[in-house]
Amino acid sequence: MTEGGVQYSKIAEIKGPLVIVDDVENAAFDELVEIETREGERRLGKVLEVGNGKAIVQVFEGTTGLSISGTNAKFVGKVMEMPVSKEVLGRVFDGLGRPKDGLPDPIADKFIDINGEPMNPEQREYPKDFIQTGVSVIDGMITLVRGQKLPIFSGSGMSHNLLAAQIARQASVVGTQDDFAVVFAAIGVQYSEAEYFRRSLEESGALKRSVLFLNLADDPAIERIITPRVALTVAEYLAFDLGMHVLVILTDMTNYAEALREISAAREEVPGRKGYPGYLYTDLSTIYERAGKLNGKKGSVTQVPILSMPSDDITHPIPDLTGYITEGQIVLGRDLFRQGVYPPVNILMSLSRLMKDGIGEGSTRADHGEISNQNYDAYSRAQEVRALAGIVGKAGLTEIDLKYMDVGDVFEKEFLSQATDENRTIDETLSILWKVVSKLPKNELTKVKDKFVEQYYQEK
Amino acid sequence: MESSSALETTIDKILDQTQKNILSSINLALTDAQKTLDNAIPRLEQEYDKIISDGKKEADKIQKQIVGSSDLEARNKHLLALEKAVENVFTKALEQIANAQRNGDYANLIKSLLEKSTNILGTTQVIVYTNSKDKDLVKSTLSQFSGAELSAETIDCLGGVIVKSKDGAMTFDNTIDARIERLKPLIRKEIASKFGVGN
Repeated sequence: MTEGGVQYSKIAEIKGPLVIVDDVENAAFDELVEIETREGERRLGKVLEVGNGKAIVQVFEGTTGLSISGTNAKFVGKVMEMPVSKEVLGRVFDGLGRPKDGLPDPIADKFIDINGEPMNPEQREYPKDFIQTGVSVIDGMITLVRGQKLPIFSGSGMSHNLLAAQIARQASVVGTQDDFAVVFAAIGVQYSEAEYFRRSLEESGALKRSVLFLNLADDPAIERIITPRVALTVAEYLAFDLGMHVLVILTDMTNYAEALREISAAREEVPGRKGYPGYLYTDLSTIYERAGKLNGKKGSVTQVPILSMPSDDITHPIPDLTGYITEGQIVLGRDLFRQGVYPPVNILMSLSRLMKDGIGEGSTRADHGEISNQNYDAYSRAQEVRALAGIVGKAGLTEIDLKYMDVGDVFEKEFLSQATDENRTIDETLSILWKVVSKLPKNELTKVKDKFVEQYYQEK
Repeated sequence: MESSSALETTIDKILDQTQKNILSSINLALTDAQKTLDNAIPRLEQEYDKIISDGKKEADKIQKQIVGSSDLEARNKHLLALEKAVENVFTKALEQIANAQRNGDYANLIKSLLEKSTNILGTTQVIVYTNSKDKDLVKSTLSQFSGAELSAETIDCLGGVIVKSKDGAMTFDNTIDARIERLKPLIRKEIASKFGVGN
């Protein structure tokens, strides 16, 4: 990085969120820039491109009100850094990492580049430890493990924010005394939602072990580029410097991608699918790949990014590219949501690729994998039977078909449905899974070992 | 007489039968009641366990809420108190800097600030701004920088210089105030460590 602090006053052009500064001699890619308006207001930005005496600066707080004359750009000589210390726990910051709770800046233990350091692939440790979210459908059938990145694919208006707040409040690591923390980054959310997240964590006592980054819908869109990065910087510090297990919840990543598209359009880059830049995949991976565990380090960073799929379209570039990078997905279903089921998780479209390594004897319970598979199988069959009943009517169904229909209903009413403040232990979750399949005769339970059937099958 | 005795026998039989039926019904009801009670006990126990476990969960939740918010409140008060102490130290330090003697060391500082500024801007064709206290000192030092001029206009700062290229395109703020501002997070950390925070 070059020696910083020089202020340039030749602004060549202001285009969307970009400011083009002329006659710049010593600027570096990603360098932090302070833009000073004619009125003395200061805004932050970063260098996107340098060359031919020009620097293209992306202004995080937007360029509204800036004019070519009277605007100065000060190149700070360093990249954007986040001050970190244990004191960030229990604090609320804005999307750029500035305190939003009326308290002073945290006394920093370190200043860390918000772009993070790439994890050495050879140093990565395979994630295999269970995280209990207290949400039955996740713990029982789409289990989250420490160091995993498991996105929630939702749609507009669905209850993903309720679910995110519930996970943030309830998540814990079981069977260890290690510290656990939640880093919550709200990207482009409404004020009421941000307030809900804050109040929800405060009232449940979970704020003490949480860090909140709130970028509101009326904050400049460009700020959203930074929010997940400052959140992950704090998470990495808590995990790898302080040895904590950190769950990072990023909601809503669609807003992040929209901001990326806005910058790309302003830079006149060749658009890719639906106008998103061609490097959307690479860019998303610089965020998602910051999850994991490292050999020889105690802590872990687990990510639950939440994205609302435009028009509930799972083939949309954002969920599509996210799915390539992450290790499974939790899909919320519009039909279940309309029926009033909470959380409306469409179990048949959801999957946790690392689940098998985080469950079973020594982690959760020996029968976990098998009872989960049995329920998946039974619910899938129940859906087929429901479709059949729609054509031939209930009268045309066999006795066993009717039992599967019953299983489907019980699955949705008792297993899937859960109050927003209901924190179920893994034993309670597994017990409900057994209750659901106990609606079937024993000989239908082909995915579970007999010894488990004998032990857990619930006779009428 | 005979018919009356037959009637009595019949009545007795009916009474007997009725008594038997009633007794049997009572026994049956008793067995049913016993069965219902027996069945109810495990359900009752389950219900009892559930109520106790729900109660425990609720109590845990409330405990977490109370402990969490009290911890946070205490921590926040501590943060505010610390910040106030740090600010006090800062203010005192700034006062000392402002009243510092403009001696030989200070002249060297001004020279090095001018050197650094012109190096960064890449030219000595500059206009230099300083405060009224340092004006004479800066003026004498500027003789070593060909093309550099001192502005007649003074600025409000603790000390140091602002250097601007003559075409007005580049400015470098090398006042003591700006340097302190740049280093403020590190200085805060240093002061806090004196109070035993962040060690």
